[in-house]
Amino acid sequence: MDKRKRTRFLVIIGCILAVLLVLIILTGGSKEEEPIRVVMKDAVLHEYAKINFLGIMHVNPGLVAAYTVTGIIFGFALIVRIFFIPKFKDIPGRFQMLLEQAVGLFDSLATSNSPHRHRFLGAYVFTAGAYIFIGTMFELLGIMVPTVSGEAVALPAPLADINGAISMGVISYCVILSGGIAGNKFKGVLNTLKDFSLPISMSFRLFGALLSGALVTELVYYYITTSFIIPVFVAVMFTMLHALIQAYVLTMLTALFYGEVSGQEED
Amino acid sequence: MPLNIDPQQILLHMFNLVLLFGILYVLLYKPVHDFMDKREEEYRQRDQKTKDALSEAEKLKGDYEDKIAKAEKDNAVLRADVTAKAEADREKIIGDAHERADRIVNDARDKAQKEHDRMIAQARQEITEYVSRAAEKIVMKEGDLEDDFDSFFENMSDKE
Repeated sequence: MDKRKRTRFLVIIGCILAVLLVLIILTGGSKEEEPIRVVMKDAVLHEYAKINFLGIMHVNPGLVAAYTVTGIIFGFALIVRIFFIPKFKDIPGRFQMLLEQAVGLFDSLATSNSPHRHRFLGAYVFTAGAYIFIGTMFELLGIMVPTVSGEAVALPAPLADINGAISMGVISYCVILSGGIAGNKFKGVLNTLKDFSLPISMSFRLFGALLSGALVTELVYYYITTSFIIPVFVAVMFTMLHALIQAYVLTMLTALFYGEVSGQEED
Repeated sequence: MPLNIDPQQILLHMFNLVLLFGILYVLLYKPVHDFMDKREEEYRQRDQKTKDALSEAEKLKGDYEDKIAKAEKDNAVLRADVTAKAEADREKIIGDAHERADRIVNDARDKAQKEHDRMIAQARQEITEYVSRAAEKIVMKEGDLEDDFDSFFENMSDKE
């Protein structure tokens, strides 16, 4: 293709795209059925979009997303356990290196913050880190599920649901409490209870951080004029940043408090 | 409840998290961690073995160095003994040689002296003999002087 033909090709493609863009913008305005306030409120509270959970009860999409993420992780872990781990070598390949790095990262986080008692903590922060990261990245898949009212809704990050964030905060607090009991018996319990605001701060930090990403994405998608190119950066970059930062923050805080309450105090 | 907080859903989330913890611990974290621990232990053992072998080698080296030092010391003592003995032998040999040489020289000197004395005595005897023979002839015949001189000279040339 010479220079003239290439220029002509690019001009035609540009014209088609411009026409399509104008048509999309002109026809998009009439589809704004819900006001932005309602959309944002629903994204935060999930009051209307309920999903039938195994025919037992109606739940938030976040809970379905949580079990879906667990299913995905379980499938992945099972495949790795059966097909890859038995073939591990002393000099690791790329995939083995990735797994070892992941385990080693959380193990060293646990060891550095709680050198006296870190095996259980390492396993917990590994689980929490994997769950937060994969759960947040899961949002990008945009898996659509039907709600009880018949509409379709994309599954959000499990921790963008307040119930998911609270459960993560409470379980992390329980893990810290168990470290206090294991390390210092009654004194450890008192040390842990001293930070009674910890589960609330952990829960709402997670919820707020993940929700803010969801809200910004929702906001960007709400207006048709900002639905081009921008979502690629906003959705992907925000989600990746949240996934990494929140996984790091929660695991680091848990390890830090665990080490603090379970450590033997020097006389 | 405010903010759509639902205790039942919180419990379901917790159940999900505990389940996930169990799955990840059994299927992924523990096997990978065990493998890493095992490998670390294996390398630690190898390192320990290498260190042990190194210290054993150092010990052997020390032993051999001690042995070499001892051998060198023994060698020096032996060499000193041998040198002293050789020196004594040399002195003795030289002494003997000097003694023998002195003896030979003395013997030669004695012999030469004896030969000298013998020759002197012989010459003296011969001279005496010739003198007495000459005197005898002078006394016996004065007329036959010319014949006697002739016979004297003939005798002398025969002797030579």
